[in-house]
Amino acid sequence: MMAASNEVNLNESKMVVPLNTWVLISNFKLAYNLLRRPDGTFNRHLAEFLDRKVPANTKPVLGVFSFDVIIDRSTSLLSRIYRPADGEQPQLNIADLEKPVTAEVVPVIIFFHGGSFAHSSANSAIYDTLCRRLVSICKVVVVSVNYRRAPENRYPCAYDDGWAALNWVNSSSWLQSKDSKVHIYLAGDSSGGNIVHHVALRAVESDIEVLGNILLNPMFGGQERTESEKRLDGKYFVTIQDRDWYWRAFLPEGEDRDHPACNPFGPKGNFLEGIKFPKSLVVVASLDLIQDRQLAYVKGLEKAGQKVKLLYLEQATIGFYLLPNNNHFYTVMDEISNFVGSDC
Amino acid sequence: MNKRNHQDTSGGAGYGGIRKSDFQSKAKIWEEGQDAGGGGGVDELLAVLGYKVKCSEMTDVADKLEQLEMVMGAAPNLLRDTVHYNPSDLSGWLQSMLSELNNSPNTFHDRMLQSHHIDDPLHVPAESSSVTTNSQQQQFETTQSSRIYNDDSEYDLRAIPGSAAYPQTQDRERNQKRLKTSGGSNSAPPLLPSSSPIVGVAAAGTVSEPTRSIVLVDSHETGVQLVHTLMACAEAVQQDNLKLADALVKHVELLAASQAGAMGKVATYFAEALARRIYKIYPQDCLDASYSDILQMHFYETCPYLKFAHFTANQAILEAFATASKVHVIDFGLKQGMQWPALIQALALRPGGPPAFRLTGIGPPQADNTDALQQVGWKLAQLAEAIGVEFQFRGFVATSLADIDPSMVDIRPDEAVAVNSVFELHPMLARPGAIDKVLSSIKSMKPKILTIVEQEANHNGPVFVERFTEALHYYSSLFDSLEGSGLVPSTQDLLMSEVYLGEQICNVVASDGADRVERHETLSQWRVRMGTAGFELVHLGSNAFKQASMLLALFAGGDGYRVEENNGCLMLGWHTRPLIATSAWQLIVSDSP
Repeated sequence: MMAASNEVNLNESKMVVPLNTWVLISNFKLAYNLLRRPDGTFNRHLAEFLDRKVPANTKPVLGVFSFDVIIDRSTSLLSRIYRPADGEQPQLNIADLEKPVTAEVVPVIIFFHGGSFAHSSANSAIYDTLCRRLVSICKVVVVSVNYRRAPENRYPCAYDDGWAALNWVNSSSWLQSKDSKVHIYLAGDSSGGNIVHHVALRAVESDIEVLGNILLNPMFGGQERTESEKRLDGKYFVTIQDRDWYWRAFLPEGEDRDHPACNPFGPKGNFLEGIKFPKSLVVVASLDLIQDRQLAYVKGLEKAGQKVKLLYLEQATIGFYLLPNNNHFYTVMDEISNFVGSDC
Repeated sequence: MNKRNHQDTSGGAGYGGIRKSDFQSKAKIWEEGQDAGGGGGVDELLAVLGYKVKCSEMTDVADKLEQLEMVMGAAPNLLRDTVHYNPSDLSGWLQSMLSELNNSPNTFHDRMLQSHHIDDPLHVPAESSSVTTNSQQQQFETTQSSRIYNDDSEYDLRAIPGSAAYPQTQDRERNQKRLKTSGGSNSAPPLLPSSSPIVGVAAAGTVSEPTRSIVLVDSHETGVQLVHTLMACAEAVQQDNLKLADALVKHVELLAASQAGAMGKVATYFAEALARRIYKIYPQDCLDASYSDILQMHFYETCPYLKFAHFTANQAILEAFATASKVHVIDFGLKQGMQWPALIQALALRPGGPPAFRLTGIGPPQADNTDALQQVGWKLAQLAEAIGVEFQFRGFVATSLADIDPSMVDIRPDEAVAVNSVFELHPMLARPGAIDKVLSSIKSMKPKILTIVEQEANHNGPVFVERFTEALHYYSSLFDSLEGSGLVPSTQDLLMSEVYLGEQICNVVASDGADRVERHETLSQWRVRMGTAGFELVHLGSNAFKQASMLLALFAGGDGYRVEENNGCLMLGWHTRPLIATSAWQLIVSDSP
């Protein structure tokens, strides 16, 4: 019986994405199942072994080069910087890497990779590739933060690292636009989207201005099971069970999913009325089982009088943005370009 | 329209290009994806993400994923202790899991029965017939690992790298006691292979665009001006503008003196090397061998690179030697023999008893004519005797590996041979024909396994400034790791390690021709060379990876060190910059066994 319904599920997800996308995401699903243990521990060694990583490359490839910077030695916090190569330069030296940006206005996107707080790194191939595409399509500088992961490092480590990165970017003079300010946007997918919200929140009380938040399939949750979770459980690569596992791994021990980190507009959430919160672009995939939570997040921002644009993508699954072989990828890239280009 | 879709799904522009496409429906995309690429092409979009899947195999790979999904759904714990190899080869990876599921013992009861066949490792069998067969061995080890394997357990490292490697006589009893308890259920023989290696195809076609990666410290420590001046000096040297070069090198020395941290030290060594090149004061041909050994010992103690090299090479050797009753290791650079105590100890713990172990150690002539090789051999013999491993040693003095005549090495027909080279192959690139001669010699030794550890950098390019730049980045990361690893080595250890690296820097920058021996090349480059020479890769798997990672946590102190898997090989790096790479090879199996 169980086998039969599994078959139906597998066929469904196969119908909505290209085959190579299906293979990629199913591969992750399989690998991730091997890594999560029922007792809440994580097979980190195997995770690092299986993760496909790429080094930074100061030789421009398709107009983009990258290099790594240790932002904070005490936590080994590293970020990978991606910049558009200007003109003819065949190779860049250390001296050139942090050369001041030259355009009038250069949007700097601080990017937080996904992985449900436990998986992936800034140098994971999927995210290195995504960041390169962001640079070349949206004409931005990207700073991809290698934040500490759960379960070894629970809340609020990821947020602390995001905050450290924000401060570092803000004080990097070579990233300033002509108005002597760094034009900062926060972006992230899955857990990265969640981090975007919380880092932006922390920035509110500081003198660091975040111009906009970009949340791609952001990871939110709550104690109650929502309709979309029940309806889509196990159908498109993701299960309620695995979501629960990741929250248990990230949240402080003993906390439930109404903790504000997980459920920012829930019963224990923060009030955002009247504060200067950045404008938000929130992308929700219609086949993502946590969409009810993501839509509730958008509603929460609206009710607090904050500027938010929702991009609801029909027939999109998680991870659609990892391969540029579908319409949604290009739609999102266009939206991001406009979002950081308009600066309003 | 079709053509555009075709291009988009198989991705001519690796990073996805900037063209939009009009897709009519998602079902159509799926079909296009299937047809795109046709014959032997690899799906380029997945390739960029680190996965090699032939377009023609995509459906088959999807099927495998579905099969595994169903099995995992029914019995999620079945693959908990699998050893994984080469995840980039998706098809192979999936297949190996499917095969494992088909082969594993069916009941828990069966597993328990098998676990009672643990032999007392001190009881060395007289005949090789008592050694278990391969498949039994495999099942036994699966049993061991499934009962004992626990990431959080105290990792009882039998390998004791470092100066404690040669136990004094009072340790003999302790060793014997330790070995006696290893037969019990709490021992985890960490260096034993968990399963036979899956042989992969030599990645001859994977030479990627050369990358240049850097890990930087935070801006205010990089010494941008310092680097700028160094680069300008190198340019001046290349253009033979020696007057300018001289002025610049003096300026570098000034700046370096006031530059804090690793960058200042690295700059000083590079400046000195540049000065030598400018004034044509070339360093002596080769360091006194015993002096360079001492330097390397300090380097060994200070940071984990050599320990990693030895450890990972030993893993591969142990797997290759799994069932052999007579084994012979040929070490291309014996030095102080630091790699071998751990191997001897691991062999001693082998279920069924240790094999007879012969070691041939090769080393350069000593200035004072002492027989350094024999001294090392003797110490190893003492250790082997203390733990009950039959041991024979032979030393060979050779100025160059290319001088070795394979017939001199005395390979016996019934022994499994391993050839081991830690940083010994790249010097062969300094003289034409030498590397080919060496690889040919190795082939005639018919090794079961050839382990190679090399620096992960291209310091052998023809253009001086490029070499210089690569080396500057490489050694900056290395020095940074010495500085930032959180260890507090004795000042002497640290200083000597820096001198050790400084000698290399000097050679890369100031020497040329046959004198320039530090001709490091990247793993990608070695893959091509080895493939052409008739070798294929033996994959290092997740067990070796895990154990190397755990070793790092124990001995490396700082958590900037990272182990990375790269198409069947393992690399050790500082943060995101790989610095050394271990690979294992065997002769390409042509036809029948």
